Amino acid sequence: MLKYVNTDVVFQEIPDEVTLAINISNCPCRCPGCHSHYLWEDIGLPLDTDAIDDFVRKLASDITCISFMGGDADPKGVNLLAQYIHEEYSKLKVAWYTGRIRVPSIVNKSDFDYIKVGPYIRHLGPLGKETTNQRMYKKLEDGSFEDITYRFWKKKEG
Amino acid sequence: MEIKNFTITKRDGSKDRFSLDKIMNAILKAFESVEQPIDLGSISKIISHLDIREDIKVEDIQNQVEEALMREGYYKVAKSFMLYRQQHTEDRETLEKMMFLSEYMESVNAATGSKYDANANVEHKNIATLIGELPKSNFIRLNRRLLTDRIKKMYGKQLADEYIDKLTHHFIYKNDETSLANYCASITMYPWLIGGTVAIGGNSTAPTNLKSFAGGFVNMVFMVSSMLSGACATPEFLMYMNYFIGKEYGVDYWQRADEQADLSLKKRTIDKVITDYFEQIVYTLNQPTGARNYQAVFWNIAYYDKFYFESIFGDFYFPDGSKPDWEGLSWLQKRFMKWFNKERTKTLLTFPVETMALLVDENGECKDPDWGDFTAEMYSEGHSFFTYMSDNADSLSSCCRLRNEITDNGFSYTLGAGGVSTGSKSVLTINLNRCIQYAVNHQIDYLEYLSSVIDLCHKVQMAYNENLKELQAHGMLPLFDAGYINIGRQYLTIGINGLVEAAEFMGLKITPNDDYMHFVQGILGLIEKYNKQYRTKEVMFNCEMIPAENVGVKHAKWDREDGYFVPRDCYNSYFYVVEDDSLTIIDKFKLHGRPYIEHLTGGSALHMNLDEHLSKQQYLQLLKVAAQEGCNYFTFNIPNTVCNECGTIDKRYLKECPHCHSKNVDYMTRIIGYLKRVSNFSQARQEEAARRYYAHTK
Repeated sequence: MLKYVNTDVVFQEIPDEVTLAINISNCPCRCPGCHSHYLWEDIGLPLDTDAIDDFVRKLASDITCISFMGGDADPKGVNLLAQYIHEEYSKLKVAWYTGRIRVPSIVNKSDFDYIKVGPYIRHLGPLGKETTNQRMYKKLEDGSFEDITYRFWKKKEG
Repeated sequence: MEIKNFTITKRDGSKDRFSLDKIMNAILKAFESVEQPIDLGSISKIISHLDIREDIKVEDIQNQVEEALMREGYYKVAKSFMLYRQQHTEDRETLEKMMFLSEYMESVNAATGSKYDANANVEHKNIATLIGELPKSNFIRLNRRLLTDRIKKMYGKQLADEYIDKLTHHFIYKNDETSLANYCASITMYPWLIGGTVAIGGNSTAPTNLKSFAGGFVNMVFMVSSMLSGACATPEFLMYMNYFIGKEYGVDYWQRADEQADLSLKKRTIDKVITDYFEQIVYTLNQPTGARNYQAVFWNIAYYDKFYFESIFGDFYFPDGSKPDWEGLSWLQKRFMKWFNKERTKTLLTFPVETMALLVDENGECKDPDWGDFTAEMYSEGHSFFTYMSDNADSLSSCCRLRNEITDNGFSYTLGAGGVSTGSKSVLTINLNRCIQYAVNHQIDYLEYLSSVIDLCHKVQMAYNENLKELQAHGMLPLFDAGYINIGRQYLTIGINGLVEAAEFMGLKITPNDDYMHFVQGILGLIEKYNKQYRTKEVMFNCEMIPAENVGVKHAKWDREDGYFVPRDCYNSYFYVVEDDSLTIIDKFKLHGRPYIEHLTGGSALHMNLDEHLSKQQYLQLLKVAAQEGCNYFTFNIPNTVCNECGTIDKRYLKECPHCHSKNVDYMTRIIGYLKRVSNFSQARQEEAARRYYAHTK
């Protein structure tokens, strides 16, 4: 059972989208130096299709994307919700921040528009550092995925 | 009189032992000054009339001495005693000014030193700013006297007394009391186009070419601004400039902007000539101005999408019979924004404050996609400006604090006046937090109590209006007479402050929820009811949430001192709590959305503080969010970094200079509509800037 602790509307996590980020608990990754220790425990409210309906009802068409932050204890559950969003709310894109090195085979990648893979490794740094091990992929129209990690490095000119 | 050990209260409020010797000396001196002999017995007789009580004030003792002298028939001596007192009062005032002078010289910057107008947009303190400061206390006294005299005539002494009582007990606040001029205006430049500045006391004739336009425009704005206490908006600026460029280089000049335009060795292109004029006008208008106590003029301009352009200038004709050219203006607007954004990376340019007017359809999409796109592009390039969005081109914001309902019949250029010719004559602000707490603490229905305060404010504003009419009748307001401003389209403004704090006192949660929404609507709806009730053919009222300025800090301080519930050191200028980071950016748009702002006829700008710039696509989505939520006036505010060591300006919010890596950096931010270096704000407003929370976009 997926549970979430809180949500926020964010801009930096998914380039060019206005994203509702859902912070999912019970994270099994246990990355040393993790910034979100509070997500290690199995706490929070159930994250199911009712919860999704509720978010979408409140935010109407204010957002362009929903991103699952974590959920690695139940990747299939995340996948099902992604599928649900695409079916019910076709205008919304779906993103997933997974801490795994690769997307597990039980997950159907094409149910996502953005996927971030890779655990947080302290000396390599987060997405914003050019040395990072983490990768952000964006689904293209032909269904293939493009590595857009560079978007996190490019600093806008003043 | 029996002499006991009394305590008296001195002028500064401190206590002292009562001394009979001092009184006797003063009386003796008064007799000496008129060379009239006096014996001890007579002095005792005078003193016997005095009624000295515990904690009596020095002034009261002196009043009694005057009366006692007259009772004993020493009229000449009494007169001398009064003159002596008056002279001392004047001395004390001079002494106060001297104290102020030395404090001002010691103060950190000009805005903190300014005792009465801490928003003054002056960058430096010097003899010119000091000269502007010194008479301010006299202006406040004069303005109060002018107003109370008029209130007495119109509504009786009781109301005049109530006004002063509410003012001195901080239930209400009179904005801009240090100036005699009416507040702010969005002007039409048509009278200048036809007749130059002669009608407003200048000596320049009508502009005939690009050069005389650029030079004359600057002079005209200086002249107009010196007759206003607040902002001067010139929404036609680029439209006129486009006309004069067209006359010089042909209406299709913008398609040939790379062509060489002059025969000098520099071989300037048309584009270079245009941007050189931008430079001349913008840099000159950002200079400190002599006529405004060394403050820069507060200059606003507007940009329009195609639909707004047609609605506003569709019936406009230039003196040569031609009509404004949209294609050229569209190009010129974009050119100016791009140029201004780039120029701001070189110098801290505060003015003009810019407002983009966009028309949206029922789905929240910009009707002119080209301009919607360009707006998002400029935000993503770090340019800081306001956007005004409406689903109906009948409403327009042309000034930082004004919304103008354009009506069909009020929109005639044949008279040289039109939808752009509007403004606010005077702002009187209600401290909602104090009013509501006072009512609740005294078991009065707060809406009922507010009704009486609102009614008072309207009467005071009506009195102000009469004074203004008298000034006009004596030819003191040439801006009105010459048609730059249409007095019939000028508002009397009821300001509000402390709304969120009052809601918190009532136990409400400051989030998008029905209880809070009804609270807001109840109060603003009540003000609107009175605005409509007092509206006549010649007066119109509107209501605005005043920018916190220094009033928010003052109200918080005064209310705290008087024992009221004060949850923060500066009252908000928003419908949400700035430091509440549980609110998302979407929540903030909702809290400045349709249900909340519908009665704010004077407008309120949402300053969306972000700590990082977003991408163009994200800004486009947020424009849509704003339109859907009905948030019609907003800006995005990301502090720009200014290096104090090497002078580098960066559009990002950085802890360290990207050029020389110094950590000695300052920020440029928008607090009350215009951009300024944080360290040039008054101490109180620097606190507001520091307290302002920037939504983390990560």
